[in-house]
Amino acid sequence: MLKAQNLVKKFNDNEVLSGISFEIIKGQVLAVIGPSGSGKSTMLRCLNLLERLDGGCVEVEGEVMVRTDDNGNVIYAPEADLRRIRLRFGLVFQNFNLFPHLSVMQNITEAPIRVAGLKPEEAKELALGLLEKMGLSDKAEAYPYQLSGGQSQRVAIARALAMKPDILFFDEPTSALDPELTGEVLKVIRMLAQEHMTMVVVTHEMAFAKEVADRVIFMDKGLIVEEGSPEEIFNNPNNERTKAFLNVLKSY
Amino acid sequence: MLEYAGGLINLLSSGAVTTIQIFFLTLIFSLPLGMVIAFGRMSKKKWVREIFKLYILIMRGTPLLLQLMFVYFAPYYWIGLNWDRFIAAIVAFSLNYAAYFAEIYRGGIESIPQGQYEAAQVLGFTKTQTFVRIILPQVIKRVLPPISNEVITLVKDTALVQTLGVSELFRVAKNESSRIFSTSPLAVAGIYYLVMNWLVTKALHAMEKRLSYYK
Ligand SMILES: Nc1ncnc2c1ncn2[C@@H]1O[C@H](COP(=O)(O)OP(=O)(O)O)[C@@H](O)[C@H]1O
Ligand SMILES: [Mg+2]
Repeated sequence: MLKAQNLVKKFNDNEVLSGISFEIIKGQVLAVIGPSGSGKSTMLRCLNLLERLDGGCVEVEGEVMVRTDDNGNVIYAPEADLRRIRLRFGLVFQNFNLFPHLSVMQNITEAPIRVAGLKPEEAKELALGLLEKMGLSDKAEAYPYQLSGGQSQRVAIARALAMKPDILFFDEPTSALDPELTGEVLKVIRMLAQEHMTMVVVTHEMAFAKEVADRVIFMDKGLIVEEGSPEEIFNNPNNERTKAFLNVLKSY
Repeated sequence: MLEYAGGLINLLSSGAVTTIQIFFLTLIFSLPLGMVIAFGRMSKKKWVREIFKLYILIMRGTPLLLQLMFVYFAPYYWIGLNWDRFIAAIVAFSLNYAAYFAEIYRGGIESIPQGQYEAAQVLGFTKTQTFVRIILPQVIKRVLPPISNEVITLVKDTALVQTLGVSELFRVAKNESSRIFSTSPLAVAGIYYLVMNWLVTKALHAMEKRLSYYK
């Protein structure tokens, strides 16, 4: 589905991604774990075109989004192609980023109407279906300030799903939530996994990653240190840094 | 006496009409112009930013009265152009107030979290859609209170236009005051200003209230 090769990203002199390669497979859930500052968010942001890469190649179903030539020049696809490719991705942020001046309904329908060109009635129907799925049917007319963190994040997920993305990315979707609210968000992601939605989930919820992920990537200092099935990563990590990271987490 | 009061009110009302014209015309031109200046001030190009910074510095750093006279007299001294006092006043006021509005807009725009732009971008909104549908409505809510302050100041600042000889409320009241040798025209003019500001404040409050449906 998506193939990333040798991604490099620098902020001034600070190299945050030092050449990472991975693949996102259709219908699978890829969990990305690793200590904070290891470049997980930066990786998601580069794939979603919120940041520009300094090296590497990304292909989406055979279409080149960005590549690097022999002289090290990073070449992005033309803007029109990028717009189209971007619509294949959805991104759910750590702190939701709902639009505060729009109701829950409008938060979900605005992009389908303005960007995808749906009729308002179609978009509304779509949104009602998604809200029901998220267990938020009664919140359609609410405004974001009236929602709990868990509800906000579920609206954000519905908003992303309304654009029917091929791949849905999550950047620590439960990190901004009170512990008692993480469950309702994880439940929704689990449900999407059962429907074989292609997803990439950056998370600190190890039990959850182990449960829903088809594959796990462990990142540290801008590199993918280890990659494998959840069993391999969580039960038999090969790498010392993976072991150390998982041990630190266990000691909590 | 009563007869005179009626005449005074008629006289001052004609001045007030000019004042109200200055007020609205200034707002009509300076509110959008301020947005243009705000964008110039936030331009990615350094030289553009510097030009608009200088503009704002001059407009906010020198007396409005001086600017008013400069705008009216400079074309005359330079090229002998004798232009309309009223138009000169509108131009000077619009240029000046736009600078203040620009800084308010800039503060408002910069206070919108980056995440709002990113969420919109990921959903596929164009830059224009993002600004018009996502950013601007939030900016308007945030800038309304500081804009209100400026608008109330503008009602009072219109009195400066009398220095160009435009017969607005203050000039009319002042002339009448010296003619009949009494301060009552000035007092009545003061009441006019108060009433205008009361109405302006009410209108602005109504707008703020309309935008209070979200936080
Ligand atoms: N916009 C930015 N400008 C400069 N440095 C950044 C920026 N974004 C992230 N970084 C740096 O990149 C590194 C990786 O950050 P991030 O991708 O957020 O890590 P993670 O999500 O794994 O915690 C950090 O050292 C961070 O300080
Ligand atoms: Mg992060």
